[in-house]
This record gives sequence, C-alpha cells and structure tokens, in this order.
Amino acid sequence: MTKPKSSFFDLAGKRALVIGAEHPHGAAIARAYAEAGADVALAALTADEAVVRTRAVQREVEAMGRKSSTYVMDVMLGKNVEVTMRQIVKEIGGLDIVAACPDLFLAKPIERTSDTEVARVMQANFNSQYFIVRHAAEEFRRLKQPGRIVLTTSVIGERGLPNTTAYAAAAGAVINLVRSAAVEVAPDGIQVNGIALGWMDWMTDRLRPDDEEAQRAVRFTALRRQGRADEVGPLAVYLSSERATRYITGQIFPVDGGLLQHL
Amino acid sequence: MTGGDVLERVDLDGKAIVVTGGGRGLGRGMAHALSEAGARLMLAARTQSQLDATAEEIRSRGGTVATFAADVTDSTQVNALVAACVREYGRIDVMFANAGGGGGSNAEFWDYPDDAFEQVIATNLKSTFYSCRAASKAMVEQGTGGVLVTTASGTALRGNRGFAYPTAKGGVISLTKSMATMLAGHNIRANCIVPGYVSQNDPKDEQERAQRAQRGTFMPVQRLGEWWELGPLAVFLASEASSYITGETYIIDGGGLAGGLGPIKFRPQHEW
Repeated sequence: MTKPKSSFFDLAGKRALVIGAEHPHGAAIARAYAEAGADVALAALTADEAVVRTRAVQREVEAMGRKSSTYVMDVMLGKNVEVTMRQIVKEIGGLDIVAACPDLFLAKPIERTSDTEVARVMQANFNSQYFIVRHAAEEFRRLKQPGRIVLTTSVIGERGLPNTTAYAAAAGAVINLVRSAAVEVAPDGIQVNGIALGWMDWMTDRLRPDDEEAQRAVRFTALRRQGRADEVGPLAVYLSSERATRYITGQIFPVDGGLLQHL
Repeated sequence: MTGGDVLERVDLDGKAIVVTGGGRGLGRGMAHALSEAGARLMLAARTQSQLDATAEEIRSRGGTVATFAADVTDSTQVNALVAACVREYGRIDVMFANAGGGGGSNAEFWDYPDDAFEQVIATNLKSTFYSCRAASKAMVEQGTGGVLVTTASGTALRGNRGFAYPTAKGGVISLTKSMATMLAGHNIRANCIVPGYVSQNDPKDEQERAQRAQRGTFMPVQRLGEWWELGPLAVFLASEASSYITGETYIIDGGGLAGGLGPIKFRPQHEW
C-alpha cells in the first residue's frame, strides 16, 4: 500500500475495536481502519453465522498486514459488554478507537408491535450503543488516554416514516446519545461522534427489491442511488483520527447521498 | 401569578398590527383572524385594489382596518407604512412581515442572472428586514416592546431546484433568530411562520379543487393547507399567549417536513 501524502488520516499504531463487524457497514469500517494502518479487533454480536462473516473480515484485515482477532459480544447485556471489552483490551494491549455498528430493523404498524418487539428494537439499536459508550469510556479512562468512539445510526432517526416508529425512536435516541455522551466525556479527552446511514445497498430489509415505493424512495436521495458500504469507511477513519478531528465531538454525520436535504 | 385566563391572553383587543402582503393569500388569511381577535389592522401591499377588497371583507365583519399601498422592497415606502400605522392608531404593536413571492429565473444555476437573484432576495429577504427594522424602531421609541412575525417557507429547510426563493427564506429564518436575540432587551419578540404547501385562495373551480386534492395526496394529512389556516397561528404569535416564545420557527405543513425519506406511500414492512 502506498503511503498517503497526508498524515491526517493515518491510524498507524492505533488499536481499534469494531463491534457488529458482521454487518456491511461494520465490516467496511474495519477494513477502512486497517487500510489506514490500525490493528482491528472485531466483535460479532451473536455466536452464529455472524462469527463466520466476522472471521472473513478478520482475514481481510490480516491480509493488509494488520493484527486482527474475532470476539463475540452480547451487546444486549451491559455486563457482557463490560467483561468482553475488558478482555479484548487486555488481549490486544490497549484501545484507541471503538466503532459500534449494531442494526436491527423492524417495520410494522404501531398497533401490532408488541412490548417485546419495542424492547428488543431499543435494546439492539440503542441500549447496545449506550453500553458500548459506557465501557469504552471506562477503558479509555482506566488506560489514562484519549479515545475515539464512533456510533452508527440511521437517518430514520431524523424523519418520520410509517411502520418504523420503534426503530426510528431507537435511531433518534442514538443521535442524542452521541450529543450527551460527547459533552459528558469530553473533559477526559474522549470524543464521540455519529454516522447516520441513508438508503444503503444492503438494506433489503427496508428497501425490498419488489417494493416499487421503496425504489422510488431511493430517488429521494440527491445522488439518486443507494450508498455502498465502502462509502462509510472513510468517514469513520476521519472521525477516529487524532490528527484529523481534534476539535469535533458530539456531531452526527449522515452518509445518505443528500437524502435528508431533499424536499 | 398564573398569567390569567388563556382566552384573555390570545385577545388582541386594540393592538395595532401591520400585515405586509395583506391583500391576498396567506396575509389575507392572517388579517382576517387577527381582526377577529380584536386587532386594528394596517394592511399593506402593492396592489390597492386587492387591499381594498380584503379591507372591505374585514370591515363587513366589523373589523377596524386601514390600507397603505407600498412596495416593501423600497425601505422609504416601508418606513412610510410604519409611520402611517402610528399616525392611524397612535402606535404599532405587531409587524407581520409577510410579503414575499416567487419570480426569479428558470435559468440553470451557472447561468442564473444577477437581476433575477437580486429580485428574489429583495422581494423576500430585504423586504422582511426593512419591515422589521422600521417596526422595531417605532416599538423602541414607544418604549412598549412589540412582536415581529416573519413568514418563511418549508423550502428553506431543504434543498430545492428553484434555489433563490429557499435561499431568501432561509435568510428570513436566520434573520428572525438574530432579531429575537438583538431585540429581546427591548421586549420585542420575533418568530417565524414556515408554511408548507398551503393554497393562496379558495379554488376557483372544480378542476382546481381536484388538482389540489390530487396534490394533497402527497402530504401526510392527505390534503394541502388552506389559506386561512395560518390565522390561528398568527393570532397566537401576536398575542400575550406566546409571551415567552421568541426566536422560534413554527412549521405549519400538514406533516410534510416530518417525513421526506421517500414517497408518501412508502411503508416498509419487515417483521421477524
């Protein structure tokens, strides 16, 4: 790999942890971190085929000459996040960057959404990232070093869309989690920022290929196309780079092809 | 101290209120509601015949109204308008800087003519500045404080092809926030009304009614707004009922701006 002319995006020597690396955006962020020079630990959210997908990402990271390893982290449980995060930090010898990439989509009418479903959507999308912030900050403080946290959410957290109430509320909660947490942990040298995804090409759960209205929704983006996973990674690198973003915290950056700006 | 009865606080009894662009459209709708709440009105617009028609409607319902033909893109005429209100009613309590409009050019952005851009900025942004500047000066001289209400547009909050108008209206929103900050010490509040797709008048025939109904299906509430539906909001923002509200942007758009991630019929279905 050629050495970039600018050192602003250089993550050489940094230790990153990407949680939810089995998701396309998680995998893309892990690859981008590795390309920028970081060693990247990966955590799958479930101990099933997610681990297989995560190991594939691990091999890609290793092929770039970086250290990598795969873990399983049950982000539904704060205690599991705490224990697993501590173990990972111990094994990789420190921690500089944490990216959180859970995504559990549900779309059904309010009146048919059960208590359990609401709770699960909040747990998977919001509580998970709350726990990740809590314990990433704990590790950074314990190591007495600055740290970067990148959370991921959806533009659905900024706008209303029928049938997505629970998911939209969770995504909106993450947006304000970024703002509040950033202010709270800033004195410790920890920066927290968010990436809000628009209509991405892997999101067949919300953009069903056979749904004509969903295909029309894609045309609501200024760029008139779905986003790709590789278009998420560079922003995560930017937000995780000590030299590029020393003075940016508590902000949400959409990767949505201009969707939120469309009238 | 409870602030008194809610219905008393929305009373505009005797308040002297200027409405620019008051001859037709949303200005006419606001004028009717303000008059009904007890305000004494000074309506301004370029076209005297429209002013006369609206004034007559209001008088026929027992309202107090005077008119002043003015081009609000000319600050001299705007100053004269405010002076006319003070002369007529002895004071000015509220300025509705509502006049505005489209125009501009259909040229590509890179060919967009200077004069078209300047015209749209003058009609929508300069006029609002001139109106609020003149009103605030009179309010500060009176020592009574007052209220400034501007009208922007939902297009200002999102990107749009006809860019000059949204750009000017974005300026109106920003101006309103700054006025709220600058003038609060003089007991002058400033708020902005942001209409979405609101019709400017009653449909003239069945065909127009049908066209509007069709366009309405693109809105969450399944209809366009009516020209008179800004009235209650105008009364609220002009009145003591909004005494602690300043610098705010009030969207009235049938839910349009709450959505926007896809067409109105896009309802994802994804169950586990």
